[in-house]
Amino acid sequence: MRLLMSKKRHRLRCRRRIRDRGPVALVAKRNSLRCQQDDDYHVDRGISCPGLPEDILRHIHAKMTLRDAARAACASRTFRHNWICRPHLAFSLGTLGLNRNASRDVITRDLISKIDLIMQNRSGIGVKTLDIDLYSCDNIDFAYLDSWLRIAVTPGIEELILTLPLPTIVFENAVPIISVYNFPCSLLSNGSGNSIQYLDLCYCTLRPMADLGCLRSLTRLHMSCTRITGDELWCLLSNSPALVCLKLLHCEEIFSLKIPSLLQRLRFLEVAYCDRLQVVESNAPNLTTFYFAGFVGQISLGGSLQVKTLRMICFHQTNIVCYARQNLLAIAPNVETLTISSLNEMVNTPMLSSKFLHLKLLQISLVGMAFSGAYDYLSLVSFLDASPCLETFVLAISQHRMQHASILGEPSHDLRQIPEQRHDKLKSVTITGFCSAKSLVELTCHILENTTSLDCLTLDTTCHPSCSVTKSDKCHPLILMDGDSLVEAQKALLAIRKYIVGKVPPMVKLNILEPCSRCHAVESLVSTAGSS
Amino acid sequence: MATREAGKKMIMLKSPDGMEFEVEEAVAMESQTIRKMIEDDCADTAILIPNINSKILSRVIEYCNKHVPTTGATGAAASDTVAPAALAEDLKIWDAEFIKVNRATRFDLIQAASYLNIKGLLDLTSQTTIDTISDNSLEEIRSFLSTKNDYLPEEEQTIRRENQWAFQ
Repeated sequence: MRLLMSKKRHRLRCRRRIRDRGPVALVAKRNSLRCQQDDDYHVDRGISCPGLPEDILRHIHAKMTLRDAARAACASRTFRHNWICRPHLAFSLGTLGLNRNASRDVITRDLISKIDLIMQNRSGIGVKTLDIDLYSCDNIDFAYLDSWLRIAVTPGIEELILTLPLPTIVFENAVPIISVYNFPCSLLSNGSGNSIQYLDLCYCTLRPMADLGCLRSLTRLHMSCTRITGDELWCLLSNSPALVCLKLLHCEEIFSLKIPSLLQRLRFLEVAYCDRLQVVESNAPNLTTFYFAGFVGQISLGGSLQVKTLRMICFHQTNIVCYARQNLLAIAPNVETLTISSLNEMVNTPMLSSKFLHLKLLQISLVGMAFSGAYDYLSLVSFLDASPCLETFVLAISQHRMQHASILGEPSHDLRQIPEQRHDKLKSVTITGFCSAKSLVELTCHILENTTSLDCLTLDTTCHPSCSVTKSDKCHPLILMDGDSLVEAQKALLAIRKYIVGKVPPMVKLNILEPCSRCHAVESLVSTAGSS
Repeated sequence: MATREAGKKMIMLKSPDGMEFEVEEAVAMESQTIRKMIEDDCADTAILIPNINSKILSRVIEYCNKHVPTTGATGAAASDTVAPAALAEDLKIWDAEFIKVNRATRFDLIQAASYLNIKGLLDLTSQTTIDTISDNSLEEIRSFLSTKNDYLPEEEQTIRRENQWAFQ
């Protein structure tokens, strides 16, 4: 009924408009409009076309980009009203149409003045999303931020995303002080703490006090480069019973991360590069996913049986594969997807009796300048042996120099074999950065000879996807392989032909990937021309 | 009238100009408004859709028919055979063709999508409208949306000044 009435009203308004201005005005405008509208005007010219009811205009206005919405605000009072009540505000260089190439001073001045103009003209009616990206600024006056947050952070706010500039050093009485924005937690005590669902802070200081109040709707909390101690975080978490997802990146004041058991809904936890972190202790009973990156210290997930996905990225630490084999079962006994990255393995992966009974996907990345020649790739059979349900195994080797003993020149009967092993769920095996290391060829042969279920084996002699995989015109300059790597790739291809191809059963699909000949041929021509 | 045809429950939709459309229940339930009616057992006889004429209603049904497999109960079966990305790409192309209509029809579709609460169709029609008026002059925006300039001249000057950045 409401719809019907407003439709009638708009039709009347539209008729009036056309009567007042006549069809001539419309014809004159037609020329400046784009094709699509041309069609529209051909059809509609001279015919009364009703406008849209206010609720739909509001919907359309809310979906416009910030710039379009600000322009439309100048078109009519309805749009102006929608503009000053706009529920979703995202401020950045991009949304405000500012020149990225200007100097930082100019960017800072323009960004601050424009955001301030918009914020000070707000009607005071509820902001639902506030996203302020000041990363490109320098030396901002935090009083502006305080004032904007006072306007926007009111009961009803759902999402608050603040990205501040890199901290700068300021001098107070000749004493250098690192200037970091102190997020006013008291704002969350005024009732907005009840509605906020998503809080994302970058380059802030957060010092929640005991009187914070309950953030009963907070489901996602992301903090990057944010100063908050473990105790303060505990206080915040204790007041966030609805939390589902917690991400902490580069929060360097946290030594010990403890997650209270009252976080019954917490499913996802990511802790990355919090360099001083020594202890992670989660008691959240329903955690399903844990992503860790950085230096591994003491990790306990309360023996949660719910953890299905586990990722440990440790690019600066050695022997993580060994650590994972020895310790992860105690951390996540029912893990189904496991990703491990290690800088180097100085010790072989031990054969143990403990089993990953639910593990279906295992990805191991070894990322070092030159992976230790002493490491026995064949010892990775430990993981295959321990994982009776494993379906997919990915081994990614990324190194500049191959230090292992090459298999080329060895007689095939010298290959080691591990007896009494059967893998009857494993379907897909991928090895990237495949090289001619003897123990790697042995691992591959072991898989081929002892896996009854194998569908597909992919051996990629490059370290990174080439242009044929990424569908770009040319391999990215950063991933073009150098001379040594190209030689090693050729050796790897030889090793595959000589020791592996003959062992591939007929029902297994073998994919061999080699360096893209087009890009690398061009490169070698260039380097030859350069040296001559 | 709710009938059954080849194991699928059918729903009768009636436009105010007297046309009747028999559609699968799953298709009709793409509309949250109709879904609510069905769930509240108000759908024993034909459902009268007020305000939406037969021409627009048939287009809305066409849209729902196309979109039901990806979101409805049959979604799993469809995505088993076709990759989801390919399916989404196909739908996008179809949507782009579907929305090539004149302004009056598009406005009717927006209002129908809003009344029937079909999010995908409302998003599609609104976004197309936004794309059409984006970067146009104020006169063109007003003219396209049939909105009157109801500002006093001095008011308009002030608001133009406030939003000057958006015109640069």
